[in-house]
Amino acid sequence: MPKLSAKLARIVLPVLALGGLYLLALHKHAQRQDIRGAAVVLTPGCSEKLGHYALVPGRQYESPYVLQRTGARITLRGYSEEDVRAIQRGCNIIDDTQGRLAADPWRERWNAKRFMRGSHASCDHCHRGIGDLQDAAGNRLIGSNSLAASWIGGDMYDRFTGMLLPYELRQMQCYINSSNGYKPNIADDVIRDVTAYSRFLSAALDLKIANHYEEQGIDEIPASATLKQGDDYIRGEALYKEKCQGCHGRGGMGLEVNGQLIAPAVAGPNAWNMQSRNNFYFVSTILSGFICRNMPPGQSNTLEHQECRDIAFYISNLPRPAGDRQGPLAAVQQQFLMAVIPPLLRLSAPGKAPPQPPLEHASSKTPRLVPLENGE
Amino acid sequence: MKALALALRSHALLWQQWPKINGHLVVGLTLALVTLPQAVAFSVTLAGVPPHFGIYAAIWGVLFCAMLNPSPVFHGGPNTAMSAAMGVILLPTGAPFGAEYMGYALTLGLMAGLIQLLFWLIRPLGRLLDLISEPVINGMICGIGLFLIFRSLTTFGGLPMNTEVEWPLWIAWQSLLAVLEVGNLHAIEIGLITLITCAVLQQFERLRNWAILIGIAAGTLYSQYLSATLGLQTTLVEQIGNLSSIRVISPSLPLFSQEAVPDIIAIVPGAVTLALLGLFQTVAAMRRMSRKAGGFTDSRKAIFADAATNCLLPFLSSLPSCASFNRMWLVHRLGIHSRITIASSAVILLLLVLFFAKWIAVIPMPAMAAVIMLLGANMFSWEDIKPHLTNRREAVVFMGSLLSVVFLDLFSAVLVGSILAIAYSKWEQVNPNISLRGNVLKIKGNIYYGSLPAIEAIYHDAIKRVDELVIDFSECYYIDAEGVRWLAAAKAARKVGFVDRRTGQDRRTLAADASSGRREDEDPRAGARRRKRDRRRHSEF
Repeated sequence: MPKLSAKLARIVLPVLALGGLYLLALHKHAQRQDIRGAAVVLTPGCSEKLGHYALVPGRQYESPYVLQRTGARITLRGYSEEDVRAIQRGCNIIDDTQGRLAADPWRERWNAKRFMRGSHASCDHCHRGIGDLQDAAGNRLIGSNSLAASWIGGDMYDRFTGMLLPYELRQMQCYINSSNGYKPNIADDVIRDVTAYSRFLSAALDLKIANHYEEQGIDEIPASATLKQGDDYIRGEALYKEKCQGCHGRGGMGLEVNGQLIAPAVAGPNAWNMQSRNNFYFVSTILSGFICRNMPPGQSNTLEHQECRDIAFYISNLPRPAGDRQGPLAAVQQQFLMAVIPPLLRLSAPGKAPPQPPLEHASSKTPRLVPLENGE
Repeated sequence: MKALALALRSHALLWQQWPKINGHLVVGLTLALVTLPQAVAFSVTLAGVPPHFGIYAAIWGVLFCAMLNPSPVFHGGPNTAMSAAMGVILLPTGAPFGAEYMGYALTLGLMAGLIQLLFWLIRPLGRLLDLISEPVINGMICGIGLFLIFRSLTTFGGLPMNTEVEWPLWIAWQSLLAVLEVGNLHAIEIGLITLITCAVLQQFERLRNWAILIGIAAGTLYSQYLSATLGLQTTLVEQIGNLSSIRVISPSLPLFSQEAVPDIIAIVPGAVTLALLGLFQTVAAMRRMSRKAGGFTDSRKAIFADAATNCLLPFLSSLPSCASFNRMWLVHRLGIHSRITIASSAVILLLLVLFFAKWIAVIPMPAMAAVIMLLGANMFSWEDIKPHLTNRREAVVFMGSLLSVVFLDLFSAVLVGSILAIAYSKWEQVNPNISLRGNVLKIKGNIYYGSLPAIEAIYHDAIKRVDELVIDFSECYYIDAEGVRWLAAAKAARKVGFVDRRTGQDRRTLAADASSGRREDEDPRAGARRRKRDRRRHSEF
């Protein structure tokens, strides 16, 4: 009799457990349907961006941007209400990945934060202008890491990994390395919504698949674009203290005031990890390109190429998390450095406040902001 | 008449042997069906090569191993860790699935085979592999069981597999959430039907061998029902797919051209890793499973079998082969320990892909994932784990090995587990059991350079307190040259007497003698009697 009851238990318990799992899956699916069916509360940036591109549900779509820039009326297949909500959620994820502006981050962002370890990173930090950076005249900028151009160039050969990388896998790399996080499943809504938004941008800007656009990726600065003095840590440190430390803080740990993120960390646990392409030791041309094109805010394109490489070199020497593929020893070493170095920096800090960058710096150099030609 | 009689006799013989043959065939078919999805998944998702690489490994790898390896429970073929390692090693050489990449994959396999051959030729190298203890192996088995469950979660939920290396536990957690939130409900239903059918049927002794086959059949029937009513374009359930391009043999040549030499040199360290990864698993799995089956196979024969197989497979468009813990576990669970059964599984798989490719094509992947999850769950055997948890040292080694598989990888688990086991064994040696009762200093364990400081500390303390000290090392099993010199020096100090196995003190009465103050020379006849008995029993001293 006990044998029979044990056998019965071995049959009933797994069946109950698996049945419970199925019921939980049904519940979660229903919850997801609710979220995907709910109206999306846009961030102010997204509200402006998508309003500018006149995203509304309809049978046909005409981009006001294209009309304004080229005078041509290009009619495309329109977007359903479901499509529009996906695009809106994608835009929200790019603009505010951590859900800082959301009333209920879990519902409104479909929980993108759960794929990130740090509390600073947001897609918009690298993909500036919510993935579509333009100057005041509406010109798209060279090497501005545009998501629209990325979508056009997705599924292509990636020169860093030597692989054919679909757009979804490229996003995964961002989650793993640039935000030092975890990889969502390729079918996850976080990936799908960002893909929907990027695809919409490419339609709104009238970009064509298989073309190359200058706003794709970063306008990189290789050593050959400098006077070849060599990248210098000491020069980089001095420049960082002069130009960057006011916002990004001592040791690049970022600046938060009353829970509001003023400037994201460029080192430490909230920054990108050692296997990100932002890391100078991994790809030496990308971070320096980003700095030259975007930093300091309001004074972009004012730094010399060598200065950008020096700052990037210095930043990349600051402690940051190891990449997942570097193994546990590197992870422990970096965690130790991140724990030890900030207190040492505080101890060695002089009493005075760090020098602030001149906000209205009148550069003697001509700004090298390079707008694209209309419609390009 | 003679012919008729012979035919009748053969028929009768066949009829008598039918249950046994039938058992072999069922187990062979089950093994073939379990190996097939693993072969496809390992080659495509882990190694970055077309599915036929894995399928040929599941046919020819298994067949060669069954012929060359005398173990009746050994099941070779494609392996998770080796396939994943190949993908990582070959990443810098070119784009996966490209012609060059496949050429390098074959070269890598051949180099690994040749390195394994060195382990067979140089005996001490091969003996190094024996340093993996049972708690390490059982820890690895449980870790692999967990790994298989985690790995199959996404396929079970009809989602694409996460392919990049990342922290496996987090992947598992995210995969579970993804299955619950965005998984394909039809796929989940198919997986659950398969899983429940298998789990229920394996509780019945008579149906145990059929459980997996019936489970797969149930999952496939439900999948076909869904396809018929809703359409495959609605259910979006992944199936094994078209295997009609598979032939009996697909000859291939590893890439060895002048232009490829720099890349080949670059992957040599990877080849060493791959070779070790295979050998460690083979030796560990074979030792464990042979012991469970009540047998023994010399690990050198297994090394040779693996090495020879891996030297041949690159010429047959195949992934390298090594032992598969989960399939060997299945062989053991199904209870038929026979090389014929294992070889028959390879032949059955070949026949299946040659003649029943259309039927196999409709088997849904969630059903296959469910079977792999069940195998993973079955690898947790409380009977095997329990003895390790009762001994603290074994528990640490076991947990270290298990956690290393979960947090690091298989190779690290072998290293961590072995280092822990060796460290414990060395710790035991450098800390012999030393007791001082009366004037007898008793040393149990080793007297060697490592343990001498511990012995000396107590010896010098004792010699100050007693007039004459007796050092009893009758229970020492190893004394090195430094230990002998120390003993000689102690003896020269005059205050010291020895009790070893030659002098013949009976260790059971020694403590009583020491406490009562009786000396050996008080009763010379008894001493002589004991001396005689002891010399016979412990001739090594």
